[in-house]
Amino acid sequence: MKRFVSLMLVLLMVLVFSGCTAQQVQAPPADDTPEESATQPETQEEAPADTETEPEETPDETGAPELDTSELVTLVFYLCGDEPNDTAVVEDALNERMVEKFNTKLDFQFTTWTDYTTKYNNTLTTGGADLVYIAGWLNYHTLAASGAFLELDDLMNNYAPELRARAGEDTLNMCRVGGELYAVPNLWPEYVSTGISYRQDLVEKYSLPVPDSLENLGAYFQGIKDNDPDQPIYYGTADTNSVDCTGFDIAEALVIKYDGFMDYGYIFDADNPSVLTDYFWSDDFVEDCKLFKTWADAGYWTRSSLSNENNTDAYKNGLTTAIVSGQNPNKHITNMNDFANEHPDWETKYLAYGEVTGYICPSHATQNGTSIVRGCKYPERAMAVLQYLMMDEETNRLVQCGIEGTHYEIQDGLYVNLSEDYGYEAMDTWNLRVNEFKLPQGTDTILQEMFDYYATIGEKCKYPNVNIGGDFSEDYSAYEAERTAVVNVRAQYLPPLQAGFVDDVDAAVEEFRTKMLEAGLEKCREGYLAQWDAYCQEHDYV
Amino acid sequence: MTGTKTNRIRKDASAVAFDWIKYGLLTLTALICVLPFLVIISGSLSDNATVMREGYGLLPKNFSWSAYETIFESPKEIINAYKMTIYYTAIGTAVGLAVIVLTAYTISRKEFKYRNVVSFLIYFTSIFGGGLVPWYLMYTNILGLRGSTFIIWFPAIMSPFLVILMRTFIAGSVPDAITESARIDGAGEGTILTRIVLPVIGPGLATVGLFLALGYWNDWYRSSMFSTSKETWELQFYLYNMLNSATAVSEMSQYANVSMDAVPTQTVKLAMAVVATGPVLLFYPFVQRYFVTGITIGAVKG
Repeated sequence: MKRFVSLMLVLLMVLVFSGCTAQQVQAPPADDTPEESATQPETQEEAPADTETEPEETPDETGAPELDTSELVTLVFYLCGDEPNDTAVVEDALNERMVEKFNTKLDFQFTTWTDYTTKYNNTLTTGGADLVYIAGWLNYHTLAASGAFLELDDLMNNYAPELRARAGEDTLNMCRVGGELYAVPNLWPEYVSTGISYRQDLVEKYSLPVPDSLENLGAYFQGIKDNDPDQPIYYGTADTNSVDCTGFDIAEALVIKYDGFMDYGYIFDADNPSVLTDYFWSDDFVEDCKLFKTWADAGYWTRSSLSNENNTDAYKNGLTTAIVSGQNPNKHITNMNDFANEHPDWETKYLAYGEVTGYICPSHATQNGTSIVRGCKYPERAMAVLQYLMMDEETNRLVQCGIEGTHYEIQDGLYVNLSEDYGYEAMDTWNLRVNEFKLPQGTDTILQEMFDYYATIGEKCKYPNVNIGGDFSEDYSAYEAERTAVVNVRAQYLPPLQAGFVDDVDAAVEEFRTKMLEAGLEKCREGYLAQWDAYCQEHDYV
Repeated sequence: MTGTKTNRIRKDASAVAFDWIKYGLLTLTALICVLPFLVIISGSLSDNATVMREGYGLLPKNFSWSAYETIFESPKEIINAYKMTIYYTAIGTAVGLAVIVLTAYTISRKEFKYRNVVSFLIYFTSIFGGGLVPWYLMYTNILGLRGSTFIIWFPAIMSPFLVILMRTFIAGSVPDAITESARIDGAGEGTILTRIVLPVIGPGLATVGLFLALGYWNDWYRSSMFSTSKETWELQFYLYNMLNSATAVSEMSQYANVSMDAVPTQTVKLAMAVVATGPVLLFYPFVQRYFVTGITIGAVKG
């Protein structure tokens, strides 16, 4: 008996510890190749076997090789977001075309917005999808580098030449990781330039300056306070879970004088992107903190601001007279609509920081894109289907807007929704947006005007209309411990400093710097800079 | 009246003081528990804009049903989610109880030679687990259960804690002498379990049943991981996802031009909390008295 038990124990220990080590490797599903290769031994053998029959035998000279559609196949298209109620209706309509043309059915599946990163990674790991939505914020770069997606160059040449021509090599190149193409970007350039939303009605009412600089922003706040002491001026929140430069969100307004902030206290210069300048150790940092302290002392925000919850309704409910962080042209439109509904006498205006700094650019190509999951059994078909979804106007519109007459109608060339069950881009297929087919909504004309204006500014940049840092993603596995410590120290010292809740700014800045160094900032910076250099070299940014 | 008064045992001052302190403390504790919930209820019945400006209160401000109207706007979905949760809770608790009682009874029997080994194996899983990815892989790729309703309730029918609780309970409340006498009278294991053991472990069943039922009622994670269609969603996941969508969409809109309608307001969040907890609150008092005995008996005899 005893011997049996001890034997079992030994056996279990062996099992458990081998299990544990395997799990450690797997723990971050995002950035590890071993796990990917572990789950896909068959697929890797399969992929070449599949491609072998076509592209390699028929080189480019005859154009596209024949697509094998002998077998009815269902491809899973995995999207990020919530499923609209009428997905099945649209799927059926779409599959009628798909079966006829490619003998293929599409099955759209969704992450939902709960735990979506985990589920997204799990689905890639288990090969649970064929086509998949990708984006920078879903770690496209890291996933691609770890081999989660199929290389698309040959597939595109053979099965989606039209799409390739339409996208253009420049855009496609932006989606390359380590020289290989892993994603097809959406084809609608959009500007999500951050900026400031402010109350134009108050500017007019009290003859205040437009907040187009930090001085003017201060004067704008003070003017409102002088004229209407009861009006809350600014509602801010603290950011305690990152390594960037803005611990209290009023500091986002600094982007009005710097081209942009990077992590670990660096400033980015659009004319000289490869060289990052130190912000935390600069005099500017001290000056900026002092400015914020004068604002805090003037009572623009409450002493309890650091514990404020993120409140998207603060502006429309009059709890703040400006938003300086997280705004963009589309949010401006949301604000306009909110005001029109609830406070017709208020007026909101928007100023993109890039209009002041001169650096403005559209979203990076990898913001919304489509990839084919490694392990997809029918990559040729997936590619052909993708081209069809993006290059055929009717099909594209079916996916984006639903069925005409049931879900939407077109009035004066504008999209009008008819059904709650399938809204505009209801499946969150932002990756299938195509400029020529995108049906404008009522507010899109304003949006387009803003985009056109930003495009003219973007033209004059050193890298015209290129989102320089857009595809950079940091791999901090080598200095994770230090990074965690830096996050904690930053969370403790930076928000009060930028919210002006310290008595002596100089002393507090000194303390902040010392603590950051003690936490291991140097090591993080070293690793970060090396990766940034490599990134700039890869994309020829100097 | 006077009779009862004279018959009462006179308390001395310290006992009275103790009563006051006791009741005072208990009232305070009760208030600490009840007040937040009152704020939730009153908040859910307030007008959102008023709450934003003036904050929450114990009484509804600017009374309005709008939060509940938003939630029940598409009642089909929420009713379906309710139905599914009730289904998962019922079947999960029933199957779970059966499996747990059988297991616990078996490993509580001294005649079972390897009971310690089996107990250890069960206990072992509460300390070491395979981790998320293997767990997910097992259910989706190997067993192919993704999207089924089975996968929502099945993984939770048994937990080491509940098995051990039940085993201790059975061992404590059914003396060996009774089972032995039954055996002498010719009862088999089946009869002993159903006729002798089951009738005396009522509190144990209630405790374990309540744990299971609450676990099912409050679960959202398995829906999140394995559901491929709204049809199979649990209630908590439906509500939780509603909140997450709001957060995600507002976060998303910092990076991209996506439209931001349907973001639930503060009061809607509170109304959701009421909708989700309501039934459990009603259900609790009935089982609670068993629950307390169950837990303490299990604990003391353990």
